[in-house]
Amino acid sequence: MRKDLVFGMAGSGGDGIVSAGDSLLQAASAEGYHGVMTKSFGSQIRGGESSCRVRISTDPVLNPGGNLDVAVALNWEDFLKFGAELPVAGTTVVIYEAATGVPENQIPLVGVTPLQVIAVPIAEMAKTHAGTERAKNTVVLGLIAGWFGIGAVAVMKGISKKLAKKSQELVAANQKAFDAGMAFAKEHPLKADMTILPLEDKGGVKLLTDGNDMCAAAAIFAGCQFFGGYPITPSTEIMQFFTNHVWKYGGAVLQAEDEIAGIGAAVGASFAGKKAMTATSGPGLSLKSEMMGLASIAELPLVIVDVQRGGPSTGLPTKTEQSDLFAAAFSAHGDVIRPVLAPTSVADTFRTTIEAFNIAEYYQTPVIILSDQEIASRKETLDPIDTTQFKIIDRLRPTGADLQDYKRFKQTENHISPISHPGMLGGTYLASGIEHVESGAPTNSGSVHARMNDKRTKKFDPLKERRDLFEITGNPDAPLALVAWGSVAGVCREALQMAREQGLDVKLMVPYLLYPVAEQTYRDFFASVQKGLVVEQSHLAQTFKVLRMHLDLPKGLQSLARSGANPFLPGEIVAALHHLLAELQRSHEGKLQPQE
Amino acid sequence: MSATMTPNVNTPGDFQAKDYKSDLKPIWCPGCGDYSVVQGIYRALAAIGRPPHEIAFISGIGCSSRIPGYTTAYGFNTVHGRALPIAQGIKLANPDLLVLAAGGDGDGFSIGGGHIAHLIRRNIDITYIVMDNQIYGLTKGQLSPTSQKGRTTCTSPHGSLENPVNPLLYVLAYGAGFVAQASPTDLVGMAAIIEEAIRYPGFAFVNIQSPCVTYGEEAQQIKGLKAISETLESLGHDPSDRLAAMNLAQNYGTKLNLGVFYRNPEPAPTYDGLVRERQAQLSQGAPSKERILDLFIKK
Repeated sequence: MRKDLVFGMAGSGGDGIVSAGDSLLQAASAEGYHGVMTKSFGSQIRGGESSCRVRISTDPVLNPGGNLDVAVALNWEDFLKFGAELPVAGTTVVIYEAATGVPENQIPLVGVTPLQVIAVPIAEMAKTHAGTERAKNTVVLGLIAGWFGIGAVAVMKGISKKLAKKSQELVAANQKAFDAGMAFAKEHPLKADMTILPLEDKGGVKLLTDGNDMCAAAAIFAGCQFFGGYPITPSTEIMQFFTNHVWKYGGAVLQAEDEIAGIGAAVGASFAGKKAMTATSGPGLSLKSEMMGLASIAELPLVIVDVQRGGPSTGLPTKTEQSDLFAAAFSAHGDVIRPVLAPTSVADTFRTTIEAFNIAEYYQTPVIILSDQEIASRKETLDPIDTTQFKIIDRLRPTGADLQDYKRFKQTENHISPISHPGMLGGTYLASGIEHVESGAPTNSGSVHARMNDKRTKKFDPLKERRDLFEITGNPDAPLALVAWGSVAGVCREALQMAREQGLDVKLMVPYLLYPVAEQTYRDFFASVQKGLVVEQSHLAQTFKVLRMHLDLPKGLQSLARSGANPFLPGEIVAALHHLLAELQRSHEGKLQPQE
Repeated sequence: MSATMTPNVNTPGDFQAKDYKSDLKPIWCPGCGDYSVVQGIYRALAAIGRPPHEIAFISGIGCSSRIPGYTTAYGFNTVHGRALPIAQGIKLANPDLLVLAAGGDGDGFSIGGGHIAHLIRRNIDITYIVMDNQIYGLTKGQLSPTSQKGRTTCTSPHGSLENPVNPLLYVLAYGAGFVAQASPTDLVGMAAIIEEAIRYPGFAFVNIQSPCVTYGEEAQQIKGLKAISETLESLGHDPSDRLAAMNLAQNYGTKLNLGVFYRNPEPAPTYDGLVRERQAQLSQGAPSKERILDLFIKK
């Protein structure tokens, strides 16, 4: 019996691989398991290859897992395109379509001998039992139910619900395909028991959603009433969620003619006094950068979501990377600080998004949420969230006294000035991208410019002091350390657990606030560190470099960075930590040598 | 906030033109056409009578885009070419506001040219005033999208090789509900046209030939403009006839036809109005936003 199983499935577009993964995760969730699903596609609409990865566990899951426990290949050509996303190891059971004609001892996986390899006539079974090869994915779900004990009842319940709208015959045909898969599994038992541990306590209601929907829902919860955007993979679902729901709460959505108009409309809505948001991915972020500068100097609250994909330019549009940190933190001209936050999972996207709105409103500034394709499109089961625990912050409005002689950009002790909006009697002012005096009137005075730059940058000092935007786990005095953010943080949380079980004294820092760099928080964290890794999916090691730009890092801190989209595996991070420990021990031994 | 707002009606005597004039001193060159335009705007706003704090006046970048600062309304001097996207966000966030957008020909038809079509097709209730001087003034005299072919400027020293944009035809072709042209040579007429544009329920466009005294050609100074002016009224033009309007719009560059080219006799619904309807419709029985995560519960 297993506590945790990782499935990887691949086939051609139209094979229903992603829909099978969806059904599997929903069924597991209905049975009380925790789970996460990621999808990966070639960059095409129909045809081509598609894959998904489903991890199901009795305990909450922190990432999509490492090597596969179960690999399902509907054909080898497509499966092999996902070599890094779907890594097969000596512990993997490989199930594949018998019609590929590949003998079980000659499957095209180089340098690996799987635990077991089984050819199944999936297409033939679908045709025989359901009358159509389109039921291949249902046969696969039957095989999974039979061999691994997941979803024997719940899968068919879900499928029936979906297909009942079409026809009862379709439901019956799929039931036969599912049963045939189950029966095949029973007739061909696995060498090892790989059934999942049954749950005694289902643990109550669970939510099942992805990062994009969670982000949009959190924004609405935080009081966002305007969304302006332009479709771009992989962020579009955020706009879609808004178009479905925000009207109910008095809000509006604009699918603009381009990225610039999308953020422009959001800037306008914020000027008009409403909480506003836009969402995009790398290329769109580049187009929005001039408007982000405008919102900074006009001191307007605004939330910009950048769902990172592989860059530069069109890059890897459907795959994940963490290479927009430079762009998020620095892509504007002039001296400006723009807070950047990153969620690490679907669940904490809720909190991070609310935090982004609160920071935007409090500091009157654009804030970037640096999500990534993996978090944005992965589905996760999560426990219900107590929404009453969240405090919602609104911008500081002028009072009657402020409005007597209103100065929009008034210098105050904390550099934050009350902000009026059209419709407010006594609050009229000129907002502008041009430098201005306290009233808003344009100026080209160098000394005013210096003072205003001071106001616009110093106001963020308290933000850098906030320790609650950092998660630190492990022994606080550990000599070994990991730093990771975004979806890579989930992998590192698991690596931390594994490393500690193997006796390594290691700690992990996960920043939710990436920029401005909270120097003192890092200094404190690094105080005990002799060796460590900054783990990130960026070829240039952007995080490592941004940290180095702002503070002196411990000599033993190294960068573990690589391009997307190939995921880090918890095991390789643990191996890297062992290597660091060995180096550390050698250097200590070196010190013990008598000096010549 | 909407409760404190007055409806968009004429309340004569409540406000005078000077109530819309701010304390900022314009930095335009002496004799610039924009001085007249801002006067025309003060007069039009006084005729309408909305208090300044219920007006949002948005512009892009350039000489003419300084104009919101010279009014007592809420102003936003934004980035080059982007007055319209920002103005529409304001209108959608609060449809009770009177939203004006203004800019020059470069701002509106070059860098921001892509936005006009989309505001027109959405029919957002905004009045867009372009001060068209057929030159880039603030950057010191470069070719503009409305400069005549053959024009010599510092970026076209051997004469321009490009045909100009025809702003009137451009917006008519996209289906704008209100299209007019005015001139500082006729301040009273200009104020009346701006007033009518603001009152039009939907996207309204006013092109104003505003002389650039520093880089403009002689033919485009007041004297030259007067010489080519003729009112559409004197031509017997019927402003409900869109095809006739397009025909007359072809005079752009040779004649200065003043007045309303087109006013849709049956104004189409506005995007901002439809947004309100949708909000009212979908908010019926909607769960509170505190329960929004219930959408993710799978049963």
